[in-house]
Amino acid sequence: MLALLALPVSLLGMQQTIAERLDGRVPPDVGMLVQQLGIAASARGLPVDPLIQKAIEGSAKGVPAQRISAAVRLVVAQLDTAAVALREGGVTTDTLVIAAGAFAINAGLSGHDLTALARTRAATPALMVGLRVAGTLAAMGVPPAEDIGLISTKLRSGQPAADLLELPGSVQAEVSRGVTPAQAAAGLERAAAAQGRHGPPPGHGQPPPHPPHPPAPPHP
Amino acid sequence: MTEHSERQFHPLVKQLLDGDITLADLPAELRAEGEEALRLLADLDRRPVGVPSVTWRVMANIERRRRRVLPWLLAPALALAAVLVLWIMPAKSVAPLSRMTVRFVLVAPEAHAVSLAGTFNQWDATATPLVRSGPSGVWTATLTLPAGQHQYAFVVDGQRWVPDPAAPAVDDGFGRRNSVLTL
Repeated sequence: MLALLALPVSLLGMQQTIAERLDGRVPPDVGMLVQQLGIAASARGLPVDPLIQKAIEGSAKGVPAQRISAAVRLVVAQLDTAAVALREGGVTTDTLVIAAGAFAINAGLSGHDLTALARTRAATPALMVGLRVAGTLAAMGVPPAEDIGLISTKLRSGQPAADLLELPGSVQAEVSRGVTPAQAAAGLERAAAAQGRHGPPPGHGQPPPHPPHPPAPPHP
Repeated sequence: MTEHSERQFHPLVKQLLDGDITLADLPAELRAEGEEALRLLADLDRRPVGVPSVTWRVMANIERRRRRVLPWLLAPALALAAVLVLWIMPAKSVAPLSRMTVRFVLVAPEAHAVSLAGTFNQWDATATPLVRSGPSGVWTATLTLPAGQHQYAFVVDGQRWVPDPAAPAVDDGFGRRNSVLTL
């Protein structure tokens, strides 16, 4: 019986939390909409913070209420898409991972791209960082194929999340030398794949998850 | 039932087993049967007196009762635990807790005031003003931010929202662009 009571109690808590965070910051009708959408999203396992942030952002920018509402609905749709895509990739979804996936979709990646990253079987913190970096690279103009190829290779190599965070800077450095974002990402992917085969340089990263291929037998 | 309990002894031998008479009291033709009975009794006394089947049935019955009772005891406890978890941990967190120092720079020679608004300060355009350094119009602010992803924009003269020209940007849903910072 207490279990039955727990759900309404948590929903009331959620509604109160949203109301408190939006109080005085957004028009009342926007606040009501975010509460409704937030409770429904939470029931589906989605994070609520992105909805609240988008409503506050729109109000701070002086955007009309109707347009804020549309933007908040779009955020919910992106979160739903991300959650479904990650589940298809076999990932038990965490709210922060879903939020990272929604950002990647907003940056130009698709649900299929997210599923491909989820199928790398990377640990949850690494996947979350991978999704954020993938979205950042998309925002920098890296096409989805090169973007997902690079991030997938990095995630499969088992390198620390900090290495992923260096990728936008590395792409930017290559672009400043005159190559396109796609070429920069493809070059980094080749380097990551080679590093995965031969192991990281001394003192960097973790060993690759799979041993390198055995040497070919000598020719007679 | 055991093999020994099925054996039928002479009534006098039974009296012997009951301790009512001694072996010497038995007639000669029953003494062999009496000795055998005593030997069997001695064997039985040396064996462990175990009744596993009875024990199992009794314990199984107790177990069944316990299984019927346990869910009723556990359900409220689990529900209470769920409520506590919901209250104590409103959101799961796998993000690293580290913080990083970031310097924001905007060149805006014509601006009278520049501030920074983003997810890290609830998009408050007055919370994080930039400082103009010298006459060249370079505005800077240094913030310590938690690891994670942040979206932001510069606010010039309190009205104009400008994305950071040095950072990647995404659609903000309102027809403008937000700069992206991933730490």
